[in-house]
Amino acid sequence: MTAFLINLATLAAISGILASTLNFIVGYAGIFSVAHAVFFGLGAYGGAQVALLLVPNPFLACLVAAVIAGGLSLCLALPALRVRGEYFVAASLGLQMVAATLFAELKPLTGGIGGLVGIPRPEILGTIVPVLPLALAALALILWATARLQRGTFGRTLQSIRDADSAAESLGKNVNAAKTLAVVFACAGAGVAGALYALHLSFINVESFTLDQSIQIMAMVIIGGAGTLWGPLVGAVLLLSLPAVISFIPFIPPTEVGAVQQIIYGTAMTLLMIFRPAGLLGDMSKGKSTA
Amino acid sequence: MLFLQLLLNGLQTGAIYALTAAGFALIFGATKIFHVAHGTAFTIAGYVFLFAWGAGWPSWLGVLASIAAAMVFGIVMERLVYRPIQRHEGSFFTVFVAAFGVSIVVQNIIGMIAGRGFATVDTPLSFSAEILPEIFVAPMLWISLATAGVLFVALTLFLTRHPAGVALRALAQNPDLIRTYGLSSNGLSVLAFAIGSALAAPAAIVTAMTTGLNEAIGHHVMLISIAATIVGGIGSLRGAALAGMMLGIAESLALTVVDTQWAEAVSFLVLFGFIIFRPAGIFGVTQTR
Amino acid sequence: MIGRRGALATGLALPFIRPAFAQTAEPYVMGSLFPMSGPNAEFGEAFTRGAQVAIAHINADNMLRRPVRLQSEDSQALPQPSVIGMNKLINIDRASWVLSSWTATAKAIAPIGDRAKTIMVNGGGVGPDLSGLSPYFWNVIALAHLEVQAIVPFLVNQRNVKRVALIYVDDPLGDGILGQLREQLPRHGASLVGSYSVPRAAQQFGSVVARVRQSRPDAIYIASFGAQQAQIVKGLRDNGVTQVICSFSGFGLDGIRTLPEAEGALFTTQKLDFESGDPITKRFATDYQARFGQAPVTYHANYYNAAYLFGVLGRQVEQAGGEVNGETMRAAMLATRKFNLVGGEGEFDELGNMLTQLQVNEIRGQRVIAVG
Repeated sequence: MTAFLINLATLAAISGILASTLNFIVGYAGIFSVAHAVFFGLGAYGGAQVALLLVPNPFLACLVAAVIAGGLSLCLALPALRVRGEYFVAASLGLQMVAATLFAELKPLTGGIGGLVGIPRPEILGTIVPVLPLALAALALILWATARLQRGTFGRTLQSIRDADSAAESLGKNVNAAKTLAVVFACAGAGVAGALYALHLSFINVESFTLDQSIQIMAMVIIGGAGTLWGPLVGAVLLLSLPAVISFIPFIPPTEVGAVQQIIYGTAMTLLMIFRPAGLLGDMSKGKSTA
Repeated sequence: MLFLQLLLNGLQTGAIYALTAAGFALIFGATKIFHVAHGTAFTIAGYVFLFAWGAGWPSWLGVLASIAAAMVFGIVMERLVYRPIQRHEGSFFTVFVAAFGVSIVVQNIIGMIAGRGFATVDTPLSFSAEILPEIFVAPMLWISLATAGVLFVALTLFLTRHPAGVALRALAQNPDLIRTYGLSSNGLSVLAFAIGSALAAPAAIVTAMTTGLNEAIGHHVMLISIAATIVGGIGSLRGAALAGMMLGIAESLALTVVDTQWAEAVSFLVLFGFIIFRPAGIFGVTQTR
Repeated sequence: MIGRRGALATGLALPFIRPAFAQTAEPYVMGSLFPMSGPNAEFGEAFTRGAQVAIAHINADNMLRRPVRLQSEDSQALPQPSVIGMNKLINIDRASWVLSSWTATAKAIAPIGDRAKTIMVNGGGVGPDLSGLSPYFWNVIALAHLEVQAIVPFLVNQRNVKRVALIYVDDPLGDGILGQLREQLPRHGASLVGSYSVPRAAQQFGSVVARVRQSRPDAIYIASFGAQQAQIVKGLRDNGVTQVICSFSGFGLDGIRTLPEAEGALFTTQKLDFESGDPITKRFATDYQARFGQAPVTYHANYYNAAYLFGVLGRQVEQAGGEVNGETMRAAMLATRKFNLVGGEGEFDELGNMLTQLQVNEIRGQRVIAVG
């Protein structure tokens, strides 16, 4: 039982990092990205290659992952500076689809659809360490940074951008710099999550970094409550443990297990949105959590 | 010769994309709802036709049943899912997640009822004949092009001549104006969902006869519809349909230059390029909001 | 359609039969990690049915001191759900035998099963990268390179094929088949005239087929999965390609068999003669037919074997007085090596790959017929 829960907790912490970082750009800056899995993937491939080729040091892997994902996040920042709203959703969609094709084709770096196998387990000073404490530490760090940034000047600039670009500009805020910085921070965080994921699973392939994954991360943010500090974490834990809990339901015929689980999962998603449109932790009275 | 063949193939794919994209664009334009369950309407319409065909119904009845099913789905979505959320001024993504949940549910229910995997309507209409040396064309190509053309003309007439159509366009431009004139924007948004979803049905039937269906097929259709709506310029039906056609052709013609595995990425590269360089789309007014 | 719905009803009735023997003793749990939802669910359903028949036989024969129960988890053919499912099977259900399928699932669960010393048996995926993932990861299906070696001489000698074009998904399986075709075809005086990689999610094949047609092949080899391979077959036939279609064991699905366009398609599977006198094969075929109302195909047989092997090895361990777990069963496998299973005798190498004889099948009038 413990091993099962530890595995689930590790994956939940990694999803928590993904959801919290996505929330940073969706909830605070109003940048609606459905390409978060791309940066998750970039970090995972980066971290995995470090562990495979150099040393399985988790800190180095996370650092490299953050640099790669943060650096390439300019692909996302570029359209974010030009367009907003549904236009940007479509831009990130385009990026996600092209990136997934690239992940599948760049075999020397990503292993293609076959992926990278035998990624060594993380070691610190020669001892193998589990991923859970590392993931929890990274999650705590990111939540702390989010809370600080959100309260500071930077956070206020972002929120004024979310509410209206032009107003922010007229207040003398450097909109472009703030947006770019927010995207880089969020994507670097997703990269760290990717490195931890690769070290935890020992195997990664493109199927973990597809549009479906991006949508799932987004669903975590929205279901938990966009623009709240703890909401995305709640959403991540909920969406990750829900299928695991459903799988304990007895008496589903083996050939229908998948369908029944997915139906419960989808129904829960829809009902939550109908009855708690601002998310579980979102402020219902304000009505309008984002956009 | 290969070029001509690929162009013809692209036209057939493009006709399907154009129809679904026009439906998506109509709904999005009039209601501002990003209807990601549009692909689900497509899937339902396709399977209803498949069942009607399998049950030996005459094909016109199958077509009607398929259109009706898509319309009912669209209206149910509007009334039971989108409207309660919008009452709370739910955000863009709240609607997105809710619709995504519905598409998961429907996909799995279809898998349970209709069986999982590939299903197709077996008809000689999809079988190609060599009309010129090296050029193979199936009757389906002409049927789908004609259907797309006729429906598009009918839709344009409806939107420009019929009062309800004019009101729909007005709703897209300025919802407040509609209220001033005493028209019900609720009723109009139901109408938009009904017509928009119905447009997915013919495309789904063509797909059932040519490439075949599986319960997860709606996903791809939805993505292309979104891409075409943006490339065409939000709010422009003409743009969405044209962009859908263009994406279909681009996907096919790309094979003269690149290897086959990149065909799908081409559509999305076009989309990405448009957003960076011409965010307003083909027919949109240039404004970056 | 009706056949499937009938089968569904049978499936629904199942769980109510199960408790009848559950009281006798705490059952052994056999886990399965198949895609039960999503685009590959058709495979998951087929695999599960094969395993269900095997477990019914193990229990009916009282092969083991305790009954066996199948615990099915949905892998969605994705790494993360597979890992969650695998952890559940090992740590909560205490399964020491897990049926696996799909490359992504296999690679994601292999490190976990390896650490927990849980036997993982694959009977579906045939990518060459599935060999040697772990000492506890076994294959009861011949991997793809052997399948190519079996079909090429048949194509060249029996069907006069000189030019072959390949449509494939660029994963380890497709890649392996591409390499084998490049190597094997010239050896028999034929050549590979074109290879066309398609994305896994691709649905439209008219344009790819136009390119294929241009290379003027005598035969087209398809290396894809599930719904997509049926779409490719239909795309080829609809767009004027009349040449021979051939493939690997992935064609052994109802979706292909019943597709009118697939008439005449050739594909390899392991040798499986249901008409032969072999009692194990005969019993499987009869009981499968009785339970699901249709004749079994190779995938059903593979997972029957994958599950039945647990009964065989478990009995050996029990009779020797040992405790049934991954380690003892692996030792029993390595000690015995040869087993009588559906389709005849199968022999394992030290990596845990079962070598079987292969046959070439042809689809004729919606029936699969062995032709060579």
